[in-house]
Amino acid sequence: MVEHTTRAFDSDLQELAKKILYMGRSDDEQIANAIEALLKRDAALARSVIAADDLIDAQQRDIEENAIATIARRQPMAVDLREIVGALRISNDLERVGDLAENIAKRMLLLMEGFRIEEVTLQLQRMARLARDQLQQVLQSYEHRNVAVALEAWHKDQEVDALNNSMFRELLTYMMEDPRNITFCTHMLFCAKNIERIGDHATNIAETVYYIVEGRAIPEERPKADLTSKERMPGSSVTPGLHEKPRPGQ
Amino acid sequence: MHRRRRQTTANFSEGEFDLSAQTVQLKDMQIMAELAHPEPNLAGEHKPLSEKILIRNLDFFYGKSQALKNINLTLYGKKATAIIGPSGCGKSTLLRVLNRMYDLYSGQRATGEVLLDGENILSPTIDTNVLRSRVGMVFQRPTPFPMSIYENIAFGIRLYERLPRSELGGRVELALRGAALWDEVKNNLKASGESLSGGQQQRLCIARTLAVKPEVILFDEPCSALDPISTAKIEELIDKLKAQYTIVIVTHNMQQAARVSDFAAFMYLGELIEFDETTKLFTAPHDRRTQDYITGRFG
Repeated sequence: MVEHTTRAFDSDLQELAKKILYMGRSDDEQIANAIEALLKRDAALARSVIAADDLIDAQQRDIEENAIATIARRQPMAVDLREIVGALRISNDLERVGDLAENIAKRMLLLMEGFRIEEVTLQLQRMARLARDQLQQVLQSYEHRNVAVALEAWHKDQEVDALNNSMFRELLTYMMEDPRNITFCTHMLFCAKNIERIGDHATNIAETVYYIVEGRAIPEERPKADLTSKERMPGSSVTPGLHEKPRPGQ
Repeated sequence: MHRRRRQTTANFSEGEFDLSAQTVQLKDMQIMAELAHPEPNLAGEHKPLSEKILIRNLDFFYGKSQALKNINLTLYGKKATAIIGPSGCGKSTLLRVLNRMYDLYSGQRATGEVLLDGENILSPTIDTNVLRSRVGMVFQRPTPFPMSIYENIAFGIRLYERLPRSELGGRVELALRGAALWDEVKNNLKASGESLSGGQQQRLCIARTLAVKPEVILFDEPCSALDPISTAKIEELIDKLKAQYTIVIVTHNMQQAARVSDFAAFMYLGELIEFDETTKLFTAPHDRRTQDYITGRFG
């Protein structure tokens, strides 16, 4: 893009983008660490993930302050305005991703003695791998303002959702099979949900990148494949709450 | 409250005009009430837009050089439209066409159509005096005449109508209230218009425009010579005037255009590049040239 007549404005915006990318990479690293801590039962690593969340929170505040100062100083319009509002939104999503990684690390510390089924943690690792791919891709689309890459990442969320669904069913089966699995599986259920949420935030970021570049929302409906919040527990006699619309065929 | 107002005005009646309540006509009272309580914008949103001025295939020439190239633009009634663009893009020229100001100079001509309520104002049969009372203009620098505040406004009214002296006073007050200047000058109407501050002078000029009851008001960089507080007062005023009048404002100040207008037009090198709702033009313009200009990327 052509440079601003006021060069300092360009460097303000570049600085902001650099901070977002740095924050995104910190998130990605913490997700990887949280999963590794889980797999290797590494409490020290889990604690480092918990500590790192404070740093990620600080990065978000820093981005927010920078964005607000830039708005006040430059009165941005059009694509500049979208850049800055986009940075604010993305930093919010990234901050939440940091929290979700921290949650996984916290659960790992709670579980320390209670790990049971290796297959489940491996499955969780696969899911995290997918969510990290999505996050990395969306950060790449932000770095290059590439709408095509953003859309690709946006569609990837379905895969994360699908994996979450199958994991949900698996975990239910393990719990029914042996009640001693229940504590462990419940924690894993939440970990899976956390990773699924990370995918949702990456999807939000893809939408923001699209908005920054195109000046409008993605025209399609958001792909939604996460059924775990709708599905009824097998064998449960609980009828759906009044606030829930019964699905056709139920 | 009402009684008190009559009392203050009574003090003036010994001077050159009388302001008893009767002289302010019923219609004027309604206008005053609406000015004090303009309809909320939310209700306004649902009103269908009326096409007050239609500009069709407009070309404009200063001698041989063409300043406007095939302009097609609709100005909506009781809305503010901002015209932005770099110096020399033709935005002031366009404004000067809307009340045939260019007629004052030889060698300047316009072709095409400018329909004001369906009537082509470029037609040679148009009475430009009537046109200019319907389409008022406020200029870049305040231009008070070297006479009293009162006379500055009464003078303009006398150009168009013969009003009894008693009625004239009411009209002057109405205009000054409309321009949000009344409270600042009501005790000093005999003072020279030139003794006012720059911002007050500009509002005096707006009052002078309002006094002849126009339908459209053209603002040509109305705040470029004013400090931020006076600017804010003029912008606040424009916001109120929208309830009554069709506003067209030419401004170099992009933020001002974004603040005061409902619609915005971007012009470049004599052409209309883009016209849209203000919120759209300033957040997601379609044309690359518009984007470069409003984001400060013009070389």
